[in-house]
Amino acid sequence: MGGGLRDVRGDTIKSQLKTDYNLEIKEVRSIMGYQINSPLTDNQLSKLVDDLFTDPIIEIGSFNSSLLDNKEAFEITPEAVITVGFRPGVTDNRATAAHDGFATIFPELSKKARISTTISYVFFGLGDVDLNWLSNQLHNSLIETVVIADNNDCMIGDWPELGFPELKEIEYSPPSIIDLNVSDSELIEISEKGLLALNLEEMKTIQANYQDPKVQEKRKKLGLPPNFPTDVELECLAQSWSEHCKHKIFAAKIHHIDNETGEDSEIDSLFKTYIMRPALEMQQKVDWLLSLFHDNSGVIEWTPEWSLCMKAETHNSPSALDPFGGAMTGIVGVNRDILGTGLGARPIANTDVFCFGPPDYNGHLPEGLFHPSRVMRGVHAGVRAGGNESGIPTVNGAIIFDDRYIGKPLVYCGTVGILPRYLPDGRESHIKTPHAGDLIYMVGGRVGSDGIHGATFSSLELTDESPSSAVQIGDPITQKKMVDMLLEARDLGLIQVITDNGAGGLSSSVGEMAELTGGANLDLSKVPLKQLGLSAWEILVSESQERMTVGVSEENIVEFEKLAALHEVEATIVGEFTNSGTFLVSYGEQVVADLPISFLHDGCPQLQLESEWTPPIHAPIEFPNDCGAGAMGLILERLMARPNIASKEWWVRSYDHEVIGQSVIKPFGGVNHDAPGDAAVIAPIQGETHGAVISCGIMPRYSDLDAYAMAAASVDEAVRNAVCVGVDLDRIAGLDNFCWPDPVESEKTPDGRFKLAQLVRANRALEDVCRAYSLPCISGKDSMKNDATLDGEKISVPPTLLFSLMGNHPDVRNATSSDFKTNGDIIYLLGESKQELGASELSYMFQRESQGSSGIGGAVPKINPERNLSLYKALTKAIHSGLVASAHDCSEGGLAVALAESCFGIDAGAEIEISKLSEYDENLDVWGALFGESLGRIVVSINPKNVLEFEKLMENVACDNIGFVGESDEISIKNNGKLVLSHSVNELRKAWKGTLDGGNSE
Amino acid sequence: MTVKVAVLTGFGINCDRETAAVFEMAGAKSERIHVNKIVNGEIKLDDFHIMAVPGGFSFGDHLGSGRLMGNRLRFGLREQVRKFVKDKKPIIGICNGFQVLVKMGLLPGDDDISFEQTASLTLNDSGHYEDRWVTLEFEKDSQCIWTKGLTRMRVPVRHGEGKFVTNNKNLLDKWDKSGQLVVRYVDPIDTYPSKSDELLPYPLSPNASWRNIAGVCDPSGLVFGLMPHPEANHSTWLGATWTRENLEHGEGEGMALFHNAVNYAKSQFSIND
Repeated sequence: MGGGLRDVRGDTIKSQLKTDYNLEIKEVRSIMGYQINSPLTDNQLSKLVDDLFTDPIIEIGSFNSSLLDNKEAFEITPEAVITVGFRPGVTDNRATAAHDGFATIFPELSKKARISTTISYVFFGLGDVDLNWLSNQLHNSLIETVVIADNNDCMIGDWPELGFPELKEIEYSPPSIIDLNVSDSELIEISEKGLLALNLEEMKTIQANYQDPKVQEKRKKLGLPPNFPTDVELECLAQSWSEHCKHKIFAAKIHHIDNETGEDSEIDSLFKTYIMRPALEMQQKVDWLLSLFHDNSGVIEWTPEWSLCMKAETHNSPSALDPFGGAMTGIVGVNRDILGTGLGARPIANTDVFCFGPPDYNGHLPEGLFHPSRVMRGVHAGVRAGGNESGIPTVNGAIIFDDRYIGKPLVYCGTVGILPRYLPDGRESHIKTPHAGDLIYMVGGRVGSDGIHGATFSSLELTDESPSSAVQIGDPITQKKMVDMLLEARDLGLIQVITDNGAGGLSSSVGEMAELTGGANLDLSKVPLKQLGLSAWEILVSESQERMTVGVSEENIVEFEKLAALHEVEATIVGEFTNSGTFLVSYGEQVVADLPISFLHDGCPQLQLESEWTPPIHAPIEFPNDCGAGAMGLILERLMARPNIASKEWWVRSYDHEVIGQSVIKPFGGVNHDAPGDAAVIAPIQGETHGAVISCGIMPRYSDLDAYAMAAASVDEAVRNAVCVGVDLDRIAGLDNFCWPDPVESEKTPDGRFKLAQLVRANRALEDVCRAYSLPCISGKDSMKNDATLDGEKISVPPTLLFSLMGNHPDVRNATSSDFKTNGDIIYLLGESKQELGASELSYMFQRESQGSSGIGGAVPKINPERNLSLYKALTKAIHSGLVASAHDCSEGGLAVALAESCFGIDAGAEIEISKLSEYDENLDVWGALFGESLGRIVVSINPKNVLEFEKLMENVACDNIGFVGESDEISIKNNGKLVLSHSVNELRKAWKGTLDGGNSE
Repeated sequence: MTVKVAVLTGFGINCDRETAAVFEMAGAKSERIHVNKIVNGEIKLDDFHIMAVPGGFSFGDHLGSGRLMGNRLRFGLREQVRKFVKDKKPIIGICNGFQVLVKMGLLPGDDDISFEQTASLTLNDSGHYEDRWVTLEFEKDSQCIWTKGLTRMRVPVRHGEGKFVTNNKNLLDKWDKSGQLVVRYVDPIDTYPSKSDELLPYPLSPNASWRNIAGVCDPSGLVFGLMPHPEANHSTWLGATWTRENLEHGEGEGMALFHNAVNYAKSQFSIND
């Protein structure tokens, strides 16, 4: 750091320690360290420091000595120094970049050179702080190591040093044989000890397979142990049959009892009954649903030239252990699902939805959990780095807070992709075209011991013993190079089939694609490794990141490899597709696994589960007595400051939402660029006005009363948000992402029947509402073990459904934003308001403020999708006719919050009269009118000159003139002429922006 | 013949598609070219009239933004780039591309094109990456061929390291005098012209850049770089507040820069399409 400049990295640490822990430190400075393992002369080192590691204008560098001894850099002796480095084998992106830079300067030395990085924090004016505690806030012991110099060390210049993180050399050990001719309890022990996550019935199915004489005979011929599986086979089956890959709960046979209605019925697969069948029936009626369910993402035709695809995933367990790495691998992982769709799609937009414990949480935190504010910072930073460095804009998302997410945060990452309808060679790009004989390439990163057992681990609850090897850090640049290369290869017609290596690694990617041709041979000794000596099963199941598996015809391999070399991407032949009916895995000459395709994919037995619904009972809401208009204004102010409603601007602005030059409706709009948008609109083909809409809905609070209402509200919110910006309702498609607590009754989960009944009800809502809106689910995912048992305490997430939507936008020039436009514009509330305050944001606020004496009971918002749809269609027509100045979704916090947010966009208030709303519900009181969360409602504003035409279009739907955009700073709401709420827009905005201001180094 | 634009790609550059698109909209023919294709001689820079280094995160910016890509170009393309400028051909670096040109010493640069780094772009004072819209004002009397006739422009910034600094404050005066401090952040409320050396408050200046500098050109006026993204405002419907404005839809404010370069190339190299 040169004279007159700031050490912003150090300042940022200082400010975050202040924001998160209220710690006052005078100064924090930072030193970026590089450890180089290569024979270099001092001259060469000096050149490296000048040309590579130090910016000559703003930084000071040193080599073979500590910068802390340099008096130019550090005039005063610090009070403490904490140096953090990575553990051996953990992805170190700065080191990868440094190695690349090293190769530019010393190409001849680069092959053997190894580099690792450290960062040192240097503290001045620290006060009385426990250095061990402080170091724990600055590193994650799962992936990093730390050394500390305290005040005494600093006085004598004994600076902290870390050794080079050497991986221990390991020797390859051949596959072992697992004896399954054992008792049931020993079978379970094998599964549990090996982190296989297989239940007894599944273990017995595997046991039986190896007792089949035909199987034994074939195995003898191959030189495999005839009566028992190898560890490679057992691991491969565990991956393929994991809850994560096989969705066993969604595929289960369920006995469902409803104590409210007396229903007693059987459901054969929730997925097939409530998600797939409705979508396939809708596919029969339209020609634009190109690919549903079977690929890495669902594909729709968008224009005659282009298709769009979308996928969302969760990365909850890894994000709990390492928020930064877990979230980053979440986003770059779902990007690969897009790249692995059809013959390869290009990611063009990301969505991120997070559920955390409250940032101001001050309750008991079980040992082994990070504080929610640290989880939030880490997850946010991971997704930010993953998205921004990949050049994919983050266009839409949400952050939800609830105490029950402290055990496992939910980290939903979604991506939209674009692919040409046809490739230059005439193939439809959404259809894979593999043939037996195609060669199997592994492209991108190498395989290491990181990420072993991610798929099976995520199918287990989080415990104190959760393994660190399940954690990885993404490398967006390695992946970006690979994406660039593979999309070029696609357009050159070089790709026959492609899929990503995510959960289950090669065992899943090759295993799944082998189903298309009817077999594959894989030679694990050909797989490039980060770490020599990995055993066969580890190579097969490792989930090391940034890898795609690609099938290439023999005549194209020269061109494919040339392209890989140009992009500096590693591409290695590891096998070939066959039609032998089997997945044959070898290590060099030795066969290590032979798994028939039918057994691998269809052998897993169906679960039988019990479900029983009894509606929960909650205490009613206690409303304050005699609230005047001013007091009501203050209630609104407190509601605006609730983390669920508060502005997320600080967090959202650090995502790039505009790369690719397509962003029409942005996350924030309005005169000061701070009013929240409802949905993203993008125009992905530069210069053209044809657009796409991306939105989401998530409403976990309602699960506390009824998961049916929760799911219905989530779908409706996603649709409503999309309608607000002018989506084409004839071409919308959805994604369902369920995150549930374990719903299987057991000793650990005595309330499993109820949780499963919640899942049944949520699925029924999904079907009902999606059918009514002609909204097929084209892809989805479920994560069913969102429980954490730590310190003997079990914390389960509330049942949560994220519904994501993508749709067509016919002309982005007609897109509408949420901010009020002109003083005097007429404000309408569309839709029917009911006395629906059960599980509302207001009810939770009163519950917290009353320390639990006020409840959340009451009517939860009920959906009427047919009625909503006629309203949405009428509004869409008005928007496409250019009649609507603003449209804003009315959801969390009800009408009052929606009005305030639209007011922020013009920096002025509004004058409102709510008496008309009671025509829809005679029980509607002021609380219900202002803060009720009835579905299907939208606040719009209309220029007075368009009022007649607008009202004509809306004559058959609920549409009430409730006032106009004011001139002053005041929002005033009257009921039959009597003022019931009054407050300053600026005060409301201050409260709304204050809660989640992430702080900076100012 | 048409004006041909080489748009660099590879190693984490990620604004190459829209950068190629805006030159096409301005009437040129652009080609996205992997850096290695120029380094290995498969494609010659000589065959193009304009070169663009787009935004992105080359090599993840892990060793300081733009440094590694700057080194790749400085070590691999030194003579080709020098000849390009000597041949009076324009170069633009946007965001990460600007960082690359500064780290390799091409900007603010010198008459000899010596590739000596004299300035840097460092972490924003806010301590974080940010995507937000700003208002830019252009130097009236600059030799920069890219900014001829421009006054103000609204465009987004999307960076974490955009604070323009140097270790020799005399250089700032020199660059100012020679018309190289060609674009700065301004407060849109102030009437034009309002550019000033006095530091604007955050977020009007998103990064606390010295003298509010958003971009600079070299002494010849051919090489130009800026942190904000003019290519992200290529159409009116991409503006930050377009839904509030009564406008006729068409080209966005950012296009003027690209038209300038294409028109310059047409007249300099006598190209009529």
